[in-house]
Amino acid sequence: MAAEKILQIENVRKLFHKTVAVDDVSVEVEAGEFIALVGPSGCGKTTLLKMIGGFEVPTAGRILINGKDMTGVRAAQRPTSMVFQKLALFPHKTVEQNIGYPLKLRKTPADEIKKLVAEMLELMHLKPEYLKRYPRQLSGGEQQRVALARSLISSPTILLLDEPLSALDFKLKKNLQAELKRLHRSLGVTFVHVTHDLEEAMILADRICVMRDGNILQLGKPADIYYRPADDFVASFIGETNIFNISVEDVGADAIRYSGQGIEDSDPSIERAKAASDIRTGTAEMMVRPELVRILRSGESADCQARVKVDEVFIKGSSLQYRASMIDGGARLVFEMLGTPILPVDVGQEVTLGWNKSDVFVFQHEPGETPSPKEPGAD
Amino acid sequence: MVKVVDKSLKDRELWVTASPSTLLQLAFMLAPLCLLLMITFQVTQFFQVTWVWNLDTWTDVFTTGYYWSILLVTLKMAGLCVLLCFIISFPIAYGLATRFKAFENHIKVLMIFAFMTDIVLKTYGWVIVFDDSGVINWILRGTGIVGPDWINGLVFSQFATMVGMIYNLIAFMIFTIYLSVLNIDRDLIEASYDCGAGKFRTFWEVTLPLCRPGIWAGCLLVFVLSMGVYLEEKLMGGGNEPMMGHLIHQTFGTRVNWPLGSALTVVLMVVALVVLLIFIRIYRFDKYTATR
Repeated sequence: MAAEKILQIENVRKLFHKTVAVDDVSVEVEAGEFIALVGPSGCGKTTLLKMIGGFEVPTAGRILINGKDMTGVRAAQRPTSMVFQKLALFPHKTVEQNIGYPLKLRKTPADEIKKLVAEMLELMHLKPEYLKRYPRQLSGGEQQRVALARSLISSPTILLLDEPLSALDFKLKKNLQAELKRLHRSLGVTFVHVTHDLEEAMILADRICVMRDGNILQLGKPADIYYRPADDFVASFIGETNIFNISVEDVGADAIRYSGQGIEDSDPSIERAKAASDIRTGTAEMMVRPELVRILRSGESADCQARVKVDEVFIKGSSLQYRASMIDGGARLVFEMLGTPILPVDVGQEVTLGWNKSDVFVFQHEPGETPSPKEPGAD
Repeated sequence: MVKVVDKSLKDRELWVTASPSTLLQLAFMLAPLCLLLMITFQVTQFFQVTWVWNLDTWTDVFTTGYYWSILLVTLKMAGLCVLLCFIISFPIAYGLATRFKAFENHIKVLMIFAFMTDIVLKTYGWVIVFDDSGVINWILRGTGIVGPDWINGLVFSQFATMVGMIYNLIAFMIFTIYLSVLNIDRDLIEASYDCGAGKFRTFWEVTLPLCRPGIWAGCLLVFVLSMGVYLEEKLMGGGNEPMMGHLIHQTFGTRVNWPLGSALTVVLMVVALVVLLIFIRIYRFDKYTATR
């Protein structure tokens, strides 16, 4: 079965006065997909979401939902539904009135509204006695569920989520993330979820769209975003990572030869598949994730090795994160391992780190782009 | 710093901190009121209050229909003033808060200016407009619409009084409604559109209920203030259809009958208070405003 394109964003641009919020963005979303728009604040992700929902009008380009051009179609007429960042529950309406509001507007008979609201309440694991309460009488998590219920009751084609989990505490957030995933599975509705938290996006989404300065940097599966980032901004947007500057000497059909990694490397070449598809000769970056770097015991060896002194250890519970600097040269490395009650290495100790060529990834910047990554949330 | 105060009467700190304002209220608000009430039970002899306890004044008040008809006129005028103020100021306040965001600060300054200008001056301004030799007639005669001897009959009428009252009190209504519209979260409006509501439906279902507290407050303010109106009625109405404020002023000033003046004041205050309590009752039972 060929998956149908439920949402097509074609060369959409949005200017606010003279500042570019969204710059020539094209995305296609398949029916039933869970797509996450991720990026630092000001990257244009919320603007893009609002254009899909019909709250902002694109300056150029067009948006198609179910193959129909949405230009000139108001939010009220679109088959989309939005969960707002601050939820936007009507404070003067009870939970029942809030959830039933979209149905009331569609002139659904009162007894049917009652039935559908009750069903929705059950789906959201909300107690029936909440029906007569006002939003302010509910906890943050319950308000989230009511907002979700109000958005889903009109059975939208696409559910738009504008960082609705950002204000919640950690545990509640985890619960609701699981809830969102469950809802997505059981309802089969297409979800477009905006978040600044790439970890959240990785947990939830089928595909992630990383944005910066109104542009899409990368659009791909979570594993691709994590292990095969388009550039060092994407690479360092989630957690820490190790990036080495290299110089690609030769791009062959099966392997790439490079130089200047600055670490012990028996054979400075990697498989072609371990580099971005558009790799060229010249300066490039080699990345290896911290959890793929391990401590080598005496006698053990790895494809790449580095002798380091441990500077710092962070006990994260399920994992241990070490920061270390190389003894010759001073380049900094991060490595992670599963948490243990007894620290395998202490601060100040010298160890040899190693990792395999199969775990690295080589990518390049666009020509002319400055290689300095922006701090997430800097703008 | 927020200090948690035990609200029971046993809290000694509360007694100490609350005493200055309590004493001030007692001395300058409650004491004069008690005095006022006491005077109603005395008599006037040779233009002087004589301390003889009796019920003559109150029998006079309750048997004279004239006073009550004036009270009725006052109530009617106040009610009409509230209604007209609301009808006029809602579109203004709503427009200012939604359409003219760019001029927000200018508008606020202008509104404060309206409060700062002296009420007598503002009211006399209208006399100049309405008078037979005033602006309206000057324009009408000048353009030849009416003859040189035409009298518009606007000044010294109940209509003129109402114009003056609305003019002087509308700022209170505009300001309170303006603030309540301003406080509505833009997301709520968008959420309503998202749910499938059009502009009018959204206004009816979301905007209007959410600015009800402001509307209530504005109505209350205008009502209380218009019950005590004196200047507008005297200057613009010319005393042809007296209202309670004028009557009380006359009783104290011209007739020098302090017990009667005090009694009429008490009547006006009680009536205003009753209306106020009804207002509060409705407000409390209004489920929209109760959720705020």
